[in-house]
Amino acid sequence: MIAETLVVERGVSAGDAWVTIEPANVKSALQSLKNDGFRLLVFLTCVDHLVDTSRTWPARYELVYELRNMETKEQLRVRAFVDGDPPRIDSVHDIFPPANWEERETYDLFGVVFNGHPDLTRILMPDDWVGHPLRRDYPVGGEVVEFSEEHETWQTPPPDA
Amino acid sequence: MSTTAQGVTITKTGEQGAFGGELLTVNFGPHHPSTHGVLRLIVDLDGEQVRSVKPVIGYLHTGIEKQMEALRWQQGVVVTDRHDYLSPPINNLAYALAVEKLMGVEVPPRAQALRVIMSELTRLSSHLVWMGTSGLELGAMSMLMYCFRERDTILDMNEEISGFRMHTSYIRPGGVMADATPRFFEMLDDFTHTMPGHIDEYENLLTMNPIWRSRTIGIGRLSPEDAKVLGASGPMIRGSGIAWDLRKSMPYSGYENYDFEVAVSDDCDCYGRYLVRIKEMREAVKILRQALDRLPDGPVNVDDRKMLPPPREELETSMEAVIHHFKLFTEGYSVPPGDVYVAVESGRGENGCYVVSDGTHKPRRVHFRSASFVNLQALERMALNHMVADLIAIIGTADTVLGDVDR
Amino acid sequence: MGIEELAESLGQNILTTTLGKVVGWGRGNSVWPAQFGLACCAIEMIATATAGVDIARFGSEAFRASPRQSDLMIVSGRVSQKMAPVLRVVYDQMPEPKWVISMGACASTGGVFNNYALLQGVDKIVPVDVYIPGCPPRPEDLLNALMILQERIKAQGILPRQ
Repeated sequence: MIAETLVVERGVSAGDAWVTIEPANVKSALQSLKNDGFRLLVFLTCVDHLVDTSRTWPARYELVYELRNMETKEQLRVRAFVDGDPPRIDSVHDIFPPANWEERETYDLFGVVFNGHPDLTRILMPDDWVGHPLRRDYPVGGEVVEFSEEHETWQTPPPDA
Repeated sequence: MSTTAQGVTITKTGEQGAFGGELLTVNFGPHHPSTHGVLRLIVDLDGEQVRSVKPVIGYLHTGIEKQMEALRWQQGVVVTDRHDYLSPPINNLAYALAVEKLMGVEVPPRAQALRVIMSELTRLSSHLVWMGTSGLELGAMSMLMYCFRERDTILDMNEEISGFRMHTSYIRPGGVMADATPRFFEMLDDFTHTMPGHIDEYENLLTMNPIWRSRTIGIGRLSPEDAKVLGASGPMIRGSGIAWDLRKSMPYSGYENYDFEVAVSDDCDCYGRYLVRIKEMREAVKILRQALDRLPDGPVNVDDRKMLPPPREELETSMEAVIHHFKLFTEGYSVPPGDVYVAVESGRGENGCYVVSDGTHKPRRVHFRSASFVNLQALERMALNHMVADLIAIIGTADTVLGDVDR
Repeated sequence: MGIEELAESLGQNILTTTLGKVVGWGRGNSVWPAQFGLACCAIEMIATATAGVDIARFGSEAFRASPRQSDLMIVSGRVSQKMAPVLRVVYDQMPEPKWVISMGACASTGGVFNNYALLQGVDKIVPVDVYIPGCPPRPEDLLNALMILQERIKAQGILPRQ
């Protein structure tokens, strides 16, 4: 199991077990979990808590790593909260190769910089796109739907690509 | 901006190749007949041999995850159809299961059985498209015609049950859209009797066909260790001998009640994956037969008025029904705060939905774990030192759907 | 473009209208689409080409891979910001006379998706002749659109398009 010293908080959400770790410990935590049998990185993504007032979050960006042990079918969600402009965290592509493209996608859509990633470039948006679309302060874009309840605050004309 | 559009753009890289020439960088542009959608590959060629493959994706990025944050929970179902567009009900199922897990509701058995029926029909339809287009790319053009003929039968059934041929939005959080008509069950009954004969037809055409075998045996090898390390799922990992199928290993929606085998092949190459998909089609027909025979009676939706609208007759007599109806159709239901991940087995592998809720009527974040996104990373490993023509076979065997990759 | 210059110099008279009818008939009955399948609508486009709903009956026997050999671009699917310049380049490579059918809601107006990532309608970058609504439209809808386009082509004759 994950070393207790690395765990900041743990819990269960709708049947899924999760632990929170410090972002500086992400490589050691994931390596120790991999040695324990959690050898599959199911996904890696980020959640932006900018406008969430339902509780106080440790930081704006929450990085989520879902690990699975294919022999015991256990799953564990590892969360790390990062802040900053741009937010930085270590890359885990050497521990879990599928993280390569997932980290590029998270960089592209959220702007999280992964230290040590071999090729951190945009993967889904055009190479010269400005901005990180999935951040909460980036508008949905598209065409303004007039008289809709959201049209002033959420749907603003997109920046020129 | 990278604008090289299509066909073959050649730039010499100057490196020495093994055959005495130089390495050529060739662009399999996004507009290409054989790339299964808008995939761009930058291939380094040494003569005819592939030295490296670099996929460039993003040409179908639709902003689905952002779009879902702007839509209410029940509106989001419509959008989930469209990322893996060859298996829409399976995408719906992942989202619906995730929302139901957060809400803490469980759908009645009849809904679970109908969900299994739709998932297996979709798995068949997705494999049929795969086989038709793979056959087309490797020269077996008549496969396209035969496979799409069967697929049309399945789409007619989709239309019967939901009104839509492809993007059904049939499976929704709380149950399914509506109960199936008797005609649907007649069509399904006919289908389960005729489909095994059609699968035999496809096997007669391809399995012992010397051209098909020489184009797929030994091509695109992915060892079991590589498959596990690269996080492959679906036929990519089962074609390498590892019997990992979410329907058996981590069952959902009542799959533990059905008797079926996991299709596995030890060949580790394109031919092995083809055999796996054929076997999966046969097992899907078996599951459909069992589901149809044992279909339980009862309601098809969860009986929670905070989540689903009341029947229209009640609106005439009950004030609460009117209030529930009003709230559901204006603001929509709210999901308790929390986050959950649910994975289902699609034709491509593990398709999952990670939902984060902050307690309001719109999702905070919806992330789709896409099987094709992860499987495509294995392309670089599988295509090394093969010929350019084999590259086409390898892209086909990965069965990537670019909508799923780019979301 | 020789025939169009000839038509312009002769003007509208019985010689050019009869010739126009013949040319229009020829062009309309042998429209060769360029493969431009992007997303879900592409699967329905492939279904239109298969035996159940055969598009080859209407002259579109060959879905050419190269835009230089085709005269119809069926944009089937959503056009993302990254794909838009590619689409324009492919359109520019098609020789005149060329037509565009925008198949499906996403290609016509952005469809279900109203966000940063998609062009809200392919007519923002290429001129469209026929729009097909639907998500995805039935294969018969694509045939209907092709038939409407064929009427237009026959009516146009040999005069160059504005």
